[in-house]
Amino acid sequence: MWGAFASEWVKLRRRAMLLWGLGGGLFFAVLATIFTIERAVKNPTLFPLRRGRISFAELEQPTGLVHGVTDISALIGIVALCLFAGAFATEYSQGTMRNLLVREPRRAQLLSGKFLALVLFIGLAVVLEIAVSCAVAFILAPGRDITTSAWSSTAGVNDLLAATLHVFLASVGYGMLGAAFGVLLRSPGVAIGAAVAYVVAIEGIVVGAIWSNGDRWLPGQLFSAIAHGGTSDSSYHHSLITVAVYVVLIAAGTLTVFSRRDA
Amino acid sequence: MTSSVVTSALTKRFGPRLAVNAVDIELPAGVVSGFVGPNGAGKTTTIQLLLGLCRPTSGTAEVLGRPITDPASYLGRVGALIEAPSFYPTLSGRRNLEVLTRLGRIKSSRIAEVLAMVELSDRGDDFVRAYSLGMKQRLGVAAALLPDPELCILDEPTNGLDPAGIREMRAVIRGLADRGISVFVSSHLLAEIEAVCDHLVMIDNGRIVFQGGVGKLIAAQHSDIVATPEHASDLQALTDLCIAAGKPARIEQGEVHVQAPEDWAPELNRQAMAAGITLRGLTVSRASLEQAFFAITDAAQKEDADG
Repeated sequence: MWGAFASEWVKLRRRAMLLWGLGGGLFFAVLATIFTIERAVKNPTLFPLRRGRISFAELEQPTGLVHGVTDISALIGIVALCLFAGAFATEYSQGTMRNLLVREPRRAQLLSGKFLALVLFIGLAVVLEIAVSCAVAFILAPGRDITTSAWSSTAGVNDLLAATLHVFLASVGYGMLGAAFGVLLRSPGVAIGAAVAYVVAIEGIVVGAIWSNGDRWLPGQLFSAIAHGGTSDSSYHHSLITVAVYVVLIAAGTLTVFSRRDA
Repeated sequence: MTSSVVTSALTKRFGPRLAVNAVDIELPAGVVSGFVGPNGAGKTTTIQLLLGLCRPTSGTAEVLGRPITDPASYLGRVGALIEAPSFYPTLSGRRNLEVLTRLGRIKSSRIAEVLAMVELSDRGDDFVRAYSLGMKQRLGVAAALLPDPELCILDEPTNGLDPAGIREMRAVIRGLADRGISVFVSSHLLAEIEAVCDHLVMIDNGRIVFQGGVGKLIAAQHSDIVATPEHASDLQALTDLCIAAGKPARIEQGEVHVQAPEDWAPELNRQAMAAGITLRGLTVSRASLEQAFFAITDAAQKEDADG
């Protein structure tokens, strides 16, 4: 497994991977932070809060520092989804999976090593995105007279670490779903398209029009709930436990398909 | 160990299509074995079975003395180039090999060694997307050589190469055999195999139609003896003389083509002289591997048709 892990890192260090995998997430994280701070409203009684805007009071809470990033956690998750789906499906479409299987015929080892490397990559990406977002928030806040003392308090640091963990766990969930689509569909375009369509459109339609309680049970909705540390509809613990069941099922299914299907 | 690969009734079915049909192969170790057959004959599927990339429907096989049901037990000693060379285009040749050395826990010092073997040292740091097809094929061979293999399986290594590239690839393959590596090389280009192989396996429609030494195969085929009488008026008499001796003969462009083993040529000369026919020319046209292949596959098809 460590051979597969080390091997995957050679590919993850590619310029294109760094640009789109890290750079894409960083871009959205910085953008979200700038929007959150620049559009924050000092006196909501005079200027009613519109969609996507928060008040200074809310922003000055210990959780205010990572508000922007948690708001776009679904977008960070979609980046992870695409990264994982593409990483697996591309091996099939460009024929390199056969080379890998000749050098590492123990398929479970290959799959788990590759997956772990991608998890570490996405973990580093999340940490970097949140770190840069925090830096941007600290730079911009004084310019708008936003008090930042709560951000650097013990509660603030704890909230920052918790948010980082939540966004990371949610991203791993999205990534695992992406990996399953990649292994099943074996074409990067089709796998990424199907995975994004499922999470963004299909689950949305199901929850909006068919099954209103679906946001407590559908994986994409639960990943989003975890990223926010739980929601009013789905608590953090409920989301975490249900996602753990999904993770086991998706991992078992993906491993079975990967191990048994002809390469 | 005298055989690098042994298969017994190895069969692979894809739905209704029988891609590999009860194949029995035995490849001697330390030589270049050719695997020939037309496109779609079952060559790549057989190779994939040997590399553990797909599971047999039935039958058994051993590679380097280990069963193909446990590919991890032998693939560390096997190098392979499967169909078209596949690499990560936005990684350099050297980085592509690094992906495989890390995965297979192979010493990274092998990268420089194999790049030198295939004469890619000076282009090793270029992106693979900038490589010509010939360079990609050579990088594929380099990847196959990474584990310092006892057996090298090369699937269509000359596909898409120009004549110079084909000549280079032949030299690479011969070089492997000279270093004691067993090589199993597939191709649908029979002349190419004839030039480089010691041993031959022929497959057609998923079935093995011949295996053995290349020389043995060609020698088993009838050669054409081409006799040219001094006078054109003797053509018919010379033809009749051959037919009377039990050798099929025909007149073509002022020559008599006799289907007979090479060693019957002196006898033909004697009989023509005895009949008062002076020969202006007497040559032997040896059967090529291509002719031998078609003779064998035609015979196999005739046997099938006869039931």
